[in-house]
Amino acid sequence: MARRTTANGLTCLLAGLIASVVVLTGLDAHAAQLDEMSLERWAKLREVERYQLNIAEKYYREKNYKVAASEYEKFLSLYETSEGAPYSLLKWSLCMMQQKKVNTAVKEGFQSVIDYWPDSPEAVSSAYFIGQAYKDMGETRKAKKAYEAVVEEHPKELVTVYALVDLADLASIDGDVDSQVAAWKKLTFDVERNRESQNHCVRASQSLAAHCFANSRFTDGVQALATTYEKDQLPGQVLAYARRPISDLTGDSATRSQGEKLADQGIAWAKQQIPGGSTEEETKLAKSCWYVVADLYAASRRPDKVVETYDAIGKKFGTDDETRGRLAGWLKSEKEYDKARIEYAKFENQIEGNNQIAYSFREERKWDQAVAAYQRNLTLDQENQVKWNEQIAATYRDGGKPQEAIAVYDGLRTSDVENAERWMWQIAYTYHHYAGKYKVAIGWYRQCSNFPSNYQQMADCHRRMKEYKEAIILYGQIIGGSEGTAPWALLQIGLTHEDAGEKEKAIQAFQQVCKRFPKDGHASQAHARLQDKYGITVTLGGAKDE
Amino acid sequence: MFQRLTSSPTFKRTAAAAAAWLLCAMDWMWWQKAPAWASGIVFLAVASFAAGAMVKASKSRRENPVRFAAVISVAFFPMWTLVVFGLDCLELAGARVWCARMGTATAYFGGLAWVIWLIEKAAREFDLKRFEQQHKADGESILAAVLHGKELDHSPIERTANPLDPEAWYYGKKSKRLNQSLAAFMSYSLVFFVAFLVITQMGGCQEIYEMPAGGGEQQQIAQQVKVQKIIRKKFVVNPFAAISFKVPPIDEIKLQLNEITKHAYTVGYGQGTGAGFAGGTKLGKVRFIRLEYQGGDWDQDFGIGADVNMLIEYGIRTQQKVEKVTESRTIGELNNFPIGKSPPFVYMTGQRSIQLSKSEVKTLREFLLDKHGMLFGDNGGSRGWHSQFLAVMNQVLPNVRPTPIPLDDQIHRIPYQIPFLPYVAPHGGKEALGWRVDGRLVCYYHPGDIGDAWTDDHSGVSPEIWEACYQLGTNVIFYAHTEYAKWLAARQQTD
Repeated sequence: MARRTTANGLTCLLAGLIASVVVLTGLDAHAAQLDEMSLERWAKLREVERYQLNIAEKYYREKNYKVAASEYEKFLSLYETSEGAPYSLLKWSLCMMQQKKVNTAVKEGFQSVIDYWPDSPEAVSSAYFIGQAYKDMGETRKAKKAYEAVVEEHPKELVTVYALVDLADLASIDGDVDSQVAAWKKLTFDVERNRESQNHCVRASQSLAAHCFANSRFTDGVQALATTYEKDQLPGQVLAYARRPISDLTGDSATRSQGEKLADQGIAWAKQQIPGGSTEEETKLAKSCWYVVADLYAASRRPDKVVETYDAIGKKFGTDDETRGRLAGWLKSEKEYDKARIEYAKFENQIEGNNQIAYSFREERKWDQAVAAYQRNLTLDQENQVKWNEQIAATYRDGGKPQEAIAVYDGLRTSDVENAERWMWQIAYTYHHYAGKYKVAIGWYRQCSNFPSNYQQMADCHRRMKEYKEAIILYGQIIGGSEGTAPWALLQIGLTHEDAGEKEKAIQAFQQVCKRFPKDGHASQAHARLQDKYGITVTLGGAKDE
Repeated sequence: MFQRLTSSPTFKRTAAAAAAWLLCAMDWMWWQKAPAWASGIVFLAVASFAAGAMVKASKSRRENPVRFAAVISVAFFPMWTLVVFGLDCLELAGARVWCARMGTATAYFGGLAWVIWLIEKAAREFDLKRFEQQHKADGESILAAVLHGKELDHSPIERTANPLDPEAWYYGKKSKRLNQSLAAFMSYSLVFFVAFLVITQMGGCQEIYEMPAGGGEQQQIAQQVKVQKIIRKKFVVNPFAAISFKVPPIDEIKLQLNEITKHAYTVGYGQGTGAGFAGGTKLGKVRFIRLEYQGGDWDQDFGIGADVNMLIEYGIRTQQKVEKVTESRTIGELNNFPIGKSPPFVYMTGQRSIQLSKSEVKTLREFLLDKHGMLFGDNGGSRGWHSQFLAVMNQVLPNVRPTPIPLDDQIHRIPYQIPFLPYVAPHGGKEALGWRVDGRLVCYYHPGDIGDAWTDDHSGVSPEIWEACYQLGTNVIFYAHTEYAKWLAARQQTD
């Protein structure tokens, strides 16, 4: 583990050099910091030691864990008393983990680091990795024990943060809410936040807040969030985490009063946060607090109060697009689309107002009105003609008018030359999937250069036109030109032969998928197809995962 | 008459014996609280009592044949129970099952005979009564009516619903006696069937699983090679002899060695002799039981080689006794196995959907946790089955999360070291998943159709893969039995 060195001028330099030694373990995102060696200790190594370790690190970086493990082992046997020995054993253990030899990693690796170099930084990391290994194996009891030992023995180290995160996760598996909350509390209130621990502490505070709100402990929830967010961000975050529990509680008649009580607590708290001053910042904060009040009323299913609150906001701060937009959004959630559109129509920014109106029409599947709203924007917004035309085309397409959509895309192709290929693809795609004109679609796909996607679509068109030979030729070209898509294409060849009634060839193709790409997911489909449809047991697959 | 009957000492003795037998039989079948020897004594005593009653009744069988038949019918049950119980104690499972089935059939036909007799008797009495009434009204005696060849008038006199009366309205207008007999037969069969079902569902028709007795070590298979040097004849050479004898240089002497290769240990667990398990029985065998479930193709490759091949291979490789054929059971039938005599593992495969009822989920949970069983899941061919299996396991064990099983886990090391996970096709990924409870794997999930590699044609996969699949199958079966044997030993210690 990288020991936090004292703050001095060398910090930056050290960090840079450490980074050269750092290797991502790939085990778990949050374990990245635990397999590093500090520069101070790196400097203590002899030239030959550094040379050997660099070789091992190179293979480790290349994810050639088998060779890397041998190199680390070689280092250990050559330089047993070196400063790098515990580090080498730690990395060897991590190599074992990657090779799915978790028990070996624990017993012969991590535990040996602790036994032979108990005072080394790697011993601290190893203590955590033992817990993680047990967790990965499903040995929850042993994992808990190991993590609890880490928390007790190394309370100030980064491993404690990781151990607490994992303890919370284990508690959630066991349904042990008390332990989970205890872990979140430690992470939220006790752990010192720094670059490495920050994210975990933030997530814990959010989880704790959500838990408190769901259990009607509003003040506790706010306290948890207050550890993470500044005063101006807090109202919005409280709303984000309290909205769902309030909505759930008020949605059930049995818990309705509980939900309303929680909402009232939130509203009272939000009103308390409204600053008295009139500076720009204070006004902004005050407004956001009022929005929180309105949203909490909305979450607690009290529409009259929502309207009242927006009226109050209008009187206090004047009505602007933001307030209108929020009100309209709430009206849409209440299925009051016409009223929402009235609000959008009042927007000072008419283009955005039209955009929202069009979108609301699309939500209601009223395609013509949506197109009309977008067309208004075409006249208002000369700079974004492409954007609005694209929206119009998409609306036509969704509304079952492919020819109109194609006409718009074709216009875009000539007007927006830089993105001509993108529009050609859209034309082809619309002819293919919306208009059913496969021959024309093939012509357009042929002009695109995004191989193998265009070939995949062209082959599909041929299959739909029952031109199986052409489809197979295209799939063959995909196999030759795109390694990653080859298993898929070979499977498609089998399916195409099947469509063509060529049973023997289909079987051969499916068997080829199993034989040539036994580790690919498409081999699974081919295998199942051979067994189910043709009753063939000899599928020629089989592979091993080392 | 009833009061006189109930106050008689014979009736009291019979009732006491019947109560003791019933209690003991219920305990033996369902609760298993009383020690076996106590049950044995009660069964023996009641059977002796029944035999005595039969002997006594046989003396007056000419005078009262019905009483004799009734005594035999009642005495049959304690005697049958005693025989089945005895066979169970002697661990003669096959004979016990055969005897239980024959007894059930005898009970059915015996009961049917009594039903027919009773119906016939009651019908005759009704007819006679009706005949008497018809001719009394004519002022004629019955004897005179019979002598005059008069017959019973079947035209309805009054509407009756008594099932013992052949003139009951629901027997129709024609072939009333035949209809009555058929109705009686069907009703009796239905009642018998329902009673049988209830008793078996309550666990009455228990079956047992017994591991082969023996012992062995839970270790990786290692072959011991003993090198035996053959001592050659030594020649004392006289260099001055007239005979020329060329002594070969020391380097040219070829050692003649014999290699003796054998398994260094017995595959099993416990102190017994021969390959097997502590807690097993002489007649016990390793069985391969496949789980039947609704909604899918649980029987994929069943009975055409795959499971049987695996079982045979297991027997060859471990030298443990194995059953000749594989079997299948519904999830509900797992309830029939008592704790301590249930299968250490069951195998489940398929590629379509899995539909389990709440009670089946509960049964499976009890099997895995209370009965210390293990589920060996094998994805027979689809990503959908993978998701469904995981969803089912989430229902069965909601507090256990599946985790990849490391290659150096005990199940992948003993008795065979499995250096890689072999699969036929990666239907559910490339990693074996495990569900652990208190460190024990209660479920092993193979993602890639291991069963297909066990078939006669091995699905065309390479020998390296199918051999590894057999080895992995052996490991899983062995792991389940070993864990079961350990658990039995721990239970014995706590008892």
